[in-house]
Amino acid sequence: MKKILVDYTKCTGCRQCETACSAAHYEGETNPQKSRIRIFLDEAHDTFHPVISGPFTNAECTSKNVVNIGGTEYDECTVCRASCPGRPWFWEPETNIALKCDFCGDPPDPQCVAICAHGALQLIDDLGLGRARSQAKKKTAG
Amino acid sequence: MNSWPGKLLRVDLTKGTWAVEDIDPELARAYIGGRGLGTKILCDEIDPQVDPLSPENKLIFMTGPLTGTGAPASARYMVITKSPLTGAIASSNSGGYFPAELRYAGFNAIIFEGKSKEPVSLYIKNGEVELRPTKHLWGKTTHETEDIIKGEIEDPWEAQETRIACIGPAGEKLGRIACIINDKHRAAGRSGVGAVMGSKKLKAVVVRGTQGIQAADFDLFKKSVRSAMQKLGSGPVTSEGLPAYGTAILVNIINECGILPTNNFQQGMFDRAGKISGESIAENILTRNKGCFACSIACARMTTIEDEKYKGHGEGPEYETVELMGADCGIDDLAPITKANYLCNEYGMDTISAACTVATAMELYEKGYIPADDAGMDLSFGNGEALVKLIEQMGVRKGLGKVAADGAYVLADTYGHPELFMGVKKQEIPAYDPRGVQGMGLTYATSNRGACHVRGYTIANEVLGVHEKLDPLITEGKAATVKVFQDLTALVDSSGLCLFVTLTPGFGFGDMQAMLKGATGFTYTVQEVTEASERIWNLERIFNLKAGFTKADDTLPKRLLEEPLPEGGPKGQVCRLDEMLPEYYELRGWDAEGVPTKEKLDKLGLS
Repeated sequence: MKKILVDYTKCTGCRQCETACSAAHYEGETNPQKSRIRIFLDEAHDTFHPVISGPFTNAECTSKNVVNIGGTEYDECTVCRASCPGRPWFWEPETNIALKCDFCGDPPDPQCVAICAHGALQLIDDLGLGRARSQAKKKTAG
Repeated sequence: MNSWPGKLLRVDLTKGTWAVEDIDPELARAYIGGRGLGTKILCDEIDPQVDPLSPENKLIFMTGPLTGTGAPASARYMVITKSPLTGAIASSNSGGYFPAELRYAGFNAIIFEGKSKEPVSLYIKNGEVELRPTKHLWGKTTHETEDIIKGEIEDPWEAQETRIACIGPAGEKLGRIACIINDKHRAAGRSGVGAVMGSKKLKAVVVRGTQGIQAADFDLFKKSVRSAMQKLGSGPVTSEGLPAYGTAILVNIINECGILPTNNFQQGMFDRAGKISGESIAENILTRNKGCFACSIACARMTTIEDEKYKGHGEGPEYETVELMGADCGIDDLAPITKANYLCNEYGMDTISAACTVATAMELYEKGYIPADDAGMDLSFGNGEALVKLIEQMGVRKGLGKVAADGAYVLADTYGHPELFMGVKKQEIPAYDPRGVQGMGLTYATSNRGACHVRGYTIANEVLGVHEKLDPLITEGKAATVKVFQDLTALVDSSGLCLFVTLTPGFGFGDMQAMLKGATGFTYTVQEVTEASERIWNLERIFNLKAGFTKADDTLPKRLLEEPLPEGGPKGQVCRLDEMLPEYYELRGWDAEGVPTKEKLDKLGLS
């Protein structure tokens, strides 16, 4: 199993992942609104948050928490991956179908990871979160 | 779905009406898009003699075939109009997210005509157009304008995805160095395009779209984009220098070459350059690197100033800004420089022209040409407080800013010393002293929009050695270098890419041809796009000739032609423009007066 590890501290907000994702899934159509990855700007903190669409949910969740990342607090919606009815950003414009990341390529070679020039996105083996992090660290160090 | 050439939106501000038109594919093919196609439309539709601030002038927003496609650095659009600063053609380029969103909203270009009675803003959402009265935004800074507009959008997601280009108070008050700001920090900066927007009472353009852009030949497009990205990812400037320190990495490099304009171009070295360098920015005020749309370089710097007196947060300073507000004003403190940069963005003023205007004011003041009463402050070189104060006054046209808001030429001329204006065709010279880098002298003198570094950035070869290393002090062969850089730039500016792609070794007309062919489906050859780039340059030249410019305007300030640099590597040098200009005209296929020959025009299809 592969996973995409997101390191938001490296994201520069260029949104090239959005263009690569949509072009790869729609035969050359560049359209961020059809991308399965979107970048959120936190203007107050100058941070960019890549969010990859995850599992479909039938309903919007009812217990939104505040998430603390690196000492900064975020609305949970900003970092949640779910494609839920409360989140229009992963809904295909013409059809309103919820889009979901499919780890494109065989073997997996997600186009967003391939195009990211700053290492904000990395394809890693899914070994459980803790081990995945240390593996990524090793990779960066090496 | 939007493909190229697609649709343009024509807005008549006098009547408050608009129409959607198809862009002529033949014109699009011949003039590429962006700067080229915008210039063609302007030349066809206005009299070059028109008063730039009258309703007869038109303001054109033009994207290129690669804008928003995901090609490397495909973030750019062009604003084309007749400049109120120079009286020549104006084409100002900007990146960020706005240009791509304009295409997703369904239009590749907008032409603004006439003049509204009341302040209005144009709203576009997926092809739906609305011209709204926005009196409540008039008088607001660019940041306030963006915050208010986004605050009026109910859905927070829609608000984030809505992109805005607007003017600040400087543009409203018709300051001839006013710019158009998009995404809060990116500027279509030069030649006073913001004043033209202000003269039309157009405050903001608000776009949002979910329509995609279709590549005509996706396989070719993908292949050519990958190849260009690989080059970008391996070039030392685009993969190391710019990402690490932003454009301000140049401060130390240019200072070492002895061509760092200091105290209004009186010297070419600044002993405290290290304090205003990219390295110093990274160490002291940087909060984040930022990229424009689809750009791997991410040269933009988000910064914060903690110093209570200059407290602020925003983007910049970039090289030209930090150099001209710094060394050229004799200032070595990043806090007031950065604050002045933020203020320029908020008021909507070009930082290059604004900084040069302050430097000119300082020299006029030190030489006693501006009376103390008029100055109202100590305008000595090195005074950071004065820099911030004068920029504030220029933004709202108060105090000395009443005159200075119109740029350095008007200021120097008003106080009787136009020779202290460091510019060409009334536009201020950017941050490279051409006495120690001869090709840049020719670039400045012949640039169609007045002094400009991004119309033929020969620094790439004369200093950085990107494609080949040239001796900056010789004039031999520079005419040819300048011509190639000017032409390639015209092509890149027309495509929708950022000029920084050309700072990549081996990047050239071939890469552009492949990406353009893939995106548009036009069967472009390398020869065809090269010829198109020349056609664009010549058309701009023809516009200027019709507007009244002559060979006499292809020159530099007396200081740079006659007063030798006092120190550093190029000590004793002046810019030997006369050794390059005749050769340049000849290479261009122009006569001795700088007028394109009939033969040349025939060849380019311009006769």
